[in-house]
Amino acid sequence: MSDYESIRGTRVKYLTSDPTLDSSTEGQVWYNSTSGTNKALVQIKAWSSSGALNTARKELAGAGTQDAALAFGGNAPPSTQTVTEEYNGFNWSEQNDLNTGRRFLAGAGTTSAGLAFGGRLGPGAGAGETEEYDGTSWTEQNDLNTARQMLAGCGIQTAALAFGGTTTASGATEEYDGTSWTTSPGSMNTARRYLAGAGIQTAALAFGGRSPSEPQMNNSEEYDGSSWTAGNTLNTARRYLAGAGIQTAGLAFGGSTDATPYQTSTEEYDGVSWTNSSASLSTGRNLLAGSGTLYAGLGFGGNSGSITGVTEEYNSNINAITQAAWASGGNMGTARRALWGAGTQTAGLVFGGYIGAPISADTEEYNGTSWSEQNNLNTAGYHISGTGTQTAGIAFARGTPTPVNGPLTEEYDGTSWSEQNDMGTARYISAGFGIQTAAGCLGGGPVSIGTPNMQRTEEYDGSSWSDGGTFPTPISGAGGCGTLSAGLSCGGFSPPAGLGGQTTLTGEYDGSSWTTGGAIITANNGGFASGSQTDAVFFGGANPSITNQAQKYDGTSWVSSANLATARTSLAGSSTTGTSALAAGGNIVGPPLNTTATEEFTDGTEVATASTLTTS
Amino acid sequence: MALFIYGTATNTGKGFFTAEDRRAFFLRGYPADVWVVGNNEKGALWLAEKNGVEKTKAEAQALVDAEVQAAQAAWDALPEAEKTDMNPRPTDITLP
Repeated sequence: MSDYESIRGTRVKYLTSDPTLDSSTEGQVWYNSTSGTNKALVQIKAWSSSGALNTARKELAGAGTQDAALAFGGNAPPSTQTVTEEYNGFNWSEQNDLNTGRRFLAGAGTTSAGLAFGGRLGPGAGAGETEEYDGTSWTEQNDLNTARQMLAGCGIQTAALAFGGTTTASGATEEYDGTSWTTSPGSMNTARRYLAGAGIQTAALAFGGRSPSEPQMNNSEEYDGSSWTAGNTLNTARRYLAGAGIQTAGLAFGGSTDATPYQTSTEEYDGVSWTNSSASLSTGRNLLAGSGTLYAGLGFGGNSGSITGVTEEYNSNINAITQAAWASGGNMGTARRALWGAGTQTAGLVFGGYIGAPISADTEEYNGTSWSEQNNLNTAGYHISGTGTQTAGIAFARGTPTPVNGPLTEEYDGTSWSEQNDMGTARYISAGFGIQTAAGCLGGGPVSIGTPNMQRTEEYDGSSWSDGGTFPTPISGAGGCGTLSAGLSCGGFSPPAGLGGQTTLTGEYDGSSWTTGGAIITANNGGFASGSQTDAVFFGGANPSITNQAQKYDGTSWVSSANLATARTSLAGSSTTGTSALAAGGNIVGPPLNTTATEEFTDGTEVATASTLTTS
Repeated sequence: MALFIYGTATNTGKGFFTAEDRRAFFLRGYPADVWVVGNNEKGALWLAEKNGVEKTKAEAQALVDAEVQAAQAAWDALPEAEKTDMNPRPTDITLP
């Protein structure tokens, strides 16, 4: 029997504590004398549920990665589907349909350059139809030379591969160059249909399937760009399965056997052999689709006894991965919109807003569990702005029935508000950022409707306001966060004339001037931003429908994050971190429907985690 | 099997839904205390534990429609000067 030393060349280390856990220690085993356990840093394998397809279906195709996937076509009896959906790592959203509805098709490429080919249009034989997706819509291309269904595919839009399929079994292989299909002289060694595939055009992997003589197959084959060679066999022969990855790092999951029609089992391929993964799909199913890699795969749709839209993410990583999520927080005392917030998720502050009539001067503090009413602002205001902390807050730029109150500034000391020097220009619907003694106020609407939004920034030093940098465009209704020397603005209204035009603009402020950062994913106004210039979360808002979407910024670009449970706009929140934000109040349909509900954001994490070894 | 369960439940604040709930099943709130929940064991259990009242999709949609229509009527009654892009007419909501 081999031991650790003969395999690794070293003995098991005797340590009083775990070593630093990172990729350099992956695969190592050690004895932790403090806990008295043998431990190892090995890849943690897990499937986790995510947002379901909007249209549940089977016999569909997929493409892309784990956090940017494309699902198209399929079958939701009695209808063959044209539906296309894009996945952002959390949820699916509907896109423009395929031109030709079909099921049992194959796919390749990405969400911005996808490819659909083959399939069954109706009763009977397969089709050769090919369509390219450009991130927005599908356009028809040249057909496959061999029309077929129940095939597999892989590669990219300009270098794709189609193999297997037909109503009996085929080994035919075709290569696509972005314009037309060419039949490869290399045909699969074992003709089959209902198989899965992975890889690229010059290094592909085919596995599983069904042939006239084998209701479920376990053999795999590798393609090198000209011919197929036999690979090793799956541990579980199966048909109707899905796959992901590349030729040297493949993933097979789901499918059917005669004995178990809805497989949960998952297998990994290392270029030589298939190994059962310790993780299983939570929903066993067949006729599903897959995308991504061996280390970050995605399975979606299929048939689990009924048609399903279930989506699951596969991760094989030394890190334990926890997805970001919003949880309910304590309900505010007063439902309102167009308020502002400051502080943190466990020491929050909200003030002002619009109840309907009257305008609110209410102030509430949050302790991470519940809200308590505090002394009111001296002057009520809606579409108010501010920043700071629960014990050192500041409110400025507000809408009031009396425009002269627009430039009022008030400081909060944890107990009460006191008036300070006015801003230079009356405004409301501005974005605030910074702290009480170094605050910024960006843009905003003038106090009378119909005149242009402002480009100006004003800076507060704890005593008085002075002019700051000019924003690239007039702007109002943006989210703001960060510090005065590293501020961030998110979305908002840009021209014309303050009456329309949600923007994707992100602004980065360095204490004197604004530059544009990465565009937010969807143009939006009325959302709230929390965090810093290099780690922010922006959530809620409208365009014009009220949204529950949230997105994260890393200083360069925005990516989708977990959505709020309840869509809302003109909300408030906490403003100091991008990893633990607070969303408070806002309106959920239109002006009459303000909410007291709050939600707490916890960002996702990836933590290297040692496994304790046990004997059995 | 349907993708979602529909119901009404009152958001009681902290702990009404947790981050673990959000990771375990689809959950989205709508006007009229309508909640759309992923149709799996954990989702169904959540609605039951929150004393939720299960509705058909049509019943849930009707509750949301009533709230939206009331909001639209209120918006329609506003002075024209207040009907700005910053204060748009409430849009219809279609449950998934």
